[in-house]
Amino acid sequence: MAERPWLIASALLAGSLAVNAEPAADGDGFKHPLDRLHFNQSLDQREFERSSLAILNVRDPWERWNRRVYHFNYRFDEWLLLPVVRGYRYVTPGFVRSGVRNFFSNLAEIPSLLNSLLQGRGKRALDTGARLLFNTTLGVAGLWDPASRMGLPRQSEDFGQTLGAYGVSEGPYLMLPILGPSNLRDAGGQLTDFLTANWVDYLNVATASDAHPEIYALKGTDLRDSIPFRYGQLNSPFEYNQIRYVYTRARRLQIEE
Amino acid sequence: MPRLPLIAALLGTLLLCGRLPAADIDPANYGFPLHNPFEATITTTPPELRPLLPSDDEIDQQDYSLPLRPERRFALPGNLRQVEDLRYRLARQDHPAPLIFVISGTGANYASSLTEYLKRLFYGAGFHVVQLSSPTSYDFMTAASSAATPGLSREDADDLYRVMEAVRAQQADLPVTAYHLTGYSLGALHAAFVSQLDETRHSFDFKRVLLLNPAVNPYNAVRNLDRLVQTEVAGVTGNLTFYELILGKLTRYFQHRGYIDLNEALLYDLQQSKERLTNEEMAMLIGSVFRFAAADIAYTSDLLNRRGLITPPNYPIDEDTPLTPFFIRALQCNFGCYLTEQLIPQWRARHSGGSLAQLIGQISLQALQDYLAGSRKIAVMHNADDLILGPGDLGFLRRTFGERLTLYPFGGHCGNLNYRVNSQAMLEFFRG
Repeated sequence: MAERPWLIASALLAGSLAVNAEPAADGDGFKHPLDRLHFNQSLDQREFERSSLAILNVRDPWERWNRRVYHFNYRFDEWLLLPVVRGYRYVTPGFVRSGVRNFFSNLAEIPSLLNSLLQGRGKRALDTGARLLFNTTLGVAGLWDPASRMGLPRQSEDFGQTLGAYGVSEGPYLMLPILGPSNLRDAGGQLTDFLTANWVDYLNVATASDAHPEIYALKGTDLRDSIPFRYGQLNSPFEYNQIRYVYTRARRLQIEE
Repeated sequence: MPRLPLIAALLGTLLLCGRLPAADIDPANYGFPLHNPFEATITTTPPELRPLLPSDDEIDQQDYSLPLRPERRFALPGNLRQVEDLRYRLARQDHPAPLIFVISGTGANYASSLTEYLKRLFYGAGFHVVQLSSPTSYDFMTAASSAATPGLSREDADDLYRVMEAVRAQQADLPVTAYHLTGYSLGALHAAFVSQLDETRHSFDFKRVLLLNPAVNPYNAVRNLDRLVQTEVAGVTGNLTFYELILGKLTRYFQHRGYIDLNEALLYDLQQSKERLTNEEMAMLIGSVFRFAAADIAYTSDLLNRRGLITPPNYPIDEDTPLTPFFIRALQCNFGCYLTEQLIPQWRARHSGGSLAQLIGQISLQALQDYLAGSRKIAVMHNADDLILGPGDLGFLRRTFGERLTLYPFGGHCGNLNYRVNSQAMLEFFRG
């Protein structure tokens, strides 16, 4: 009787080992990888369908307008933005491009800082403030990014996120011309961040941009260059739906985070 | 007695003719760290074990389009107009060089990540590279496919061959010294059929053909893939769907790290954390990706042929038509459903009947057995734990290719293609 528990334990151990071990290969050397999976015993569980249909559920009352804008953006991107980006990459050496990228990112720390403060995220606001300080001084007006090397990664916060953090709902999905996927709340947030940056007028860039609109052009080119997404990249006739879901879900993740 | 030398000679020739055994890579020396086929398929090789590749700035490349079906253009529904011409990508060397055609896998277009990876690898080794969409990709179906019902290997290969000839005509000034061919997954199956077609048409006279993780029997392959979404995932009940479960794990993982960092090592790092995905979850994830590909194929084929299974015939479709109802229908069609509802009826109608077994016999690698066995220029690389294989598939490859089959012990489906040992073997084959 005394050895019974040992028997059971060793049997259990052997069982668990058998499950975890790699399945032995057959005579051809084939390892039958699917044999190590637990399949649902019921014939067809339809979990894929249930999950996938749920993601199509995004509030989109302006779908027709949005789809037209999506196709417009597709062409605008292909015929204008991407050729400009290619030309920019061709004529500008890499270190200049990264300087431009860092410079505009440094300006964008201002709205990030304000929004971190508005959300009451002290640690993040401090980090962003420190980044702003180091990069503007040591990094010569933000052309370099020494802060990242000091272990202060860039953490962007925008007004859409702030609104989301205070429980403002997304509102209908909105495809913005040229700017791409958004929703009513985030589009308002983008506008607010833009106006705030103008009002703060950090390093006088906003004032200078009004006199020299080419600064906006450079900023736009750099922005497009920094986003790896290409229209058509998802390679599906349902790309519109997929972008819509990914955008909406990613924003929720950012706000929850 | 004088017969003895003759018999000995005969035996000797028989032995020489008999196939040498496949090159089985020893697991102990292989060094690929991911021994779980699902993990390998999803994360692929950890970044530090990948080969050094040229960056975009170092590659002279451009996308081109081919107007292959001008007659279809005016009949195309508004939502397919952006793929009315077939795109491909050419990376050109500034000196005469051999050219490699790369055929993408199931549902993938010319710019998909694996095709891009192979381009970088071969370009870095001094080849011109042309990246082609798979005949199962919706852009290829719309712009280049004659029947827009992919799955019949010979017809798909015929469409591909015409595309390749058009590419060569468009790039007539490119100094090409020889043509090679490769493909992965379903693209590898296509490469085998294209190579056989080339033996009669002689447009390219491919010097070397490399099949990477080919689908040996596409019917086995799609049955496996359809099955992957039937795994039992603990915790998906009620309001929590499978995707939300995965996203929940990702969120907790990011919260633990303190910031969101989307990079190549993300999935690898996730698998090292306590939020790691189980085998069943990974299988379901892989299965889901393929189900989206199946939905695109079913939808596009039905729409282009006006079969009325997903989109009602003559339903007006413009750029702004909401497509969600059709997406919902398409998502409910897996590969098996596409086969029974679209591919098999089309095949029966055109080839006056025939059984499923006959169809499978015509579209799998077995259909080319004699050609593959006798053609020294073709080689295969496969994994012992590839998810798309069925019982007997590796046995067929061993019998047919002999020492031209390299069998790696790990890697899942294409997960080790970007492992240094594999990339080195690929380059050696083409330089050979």
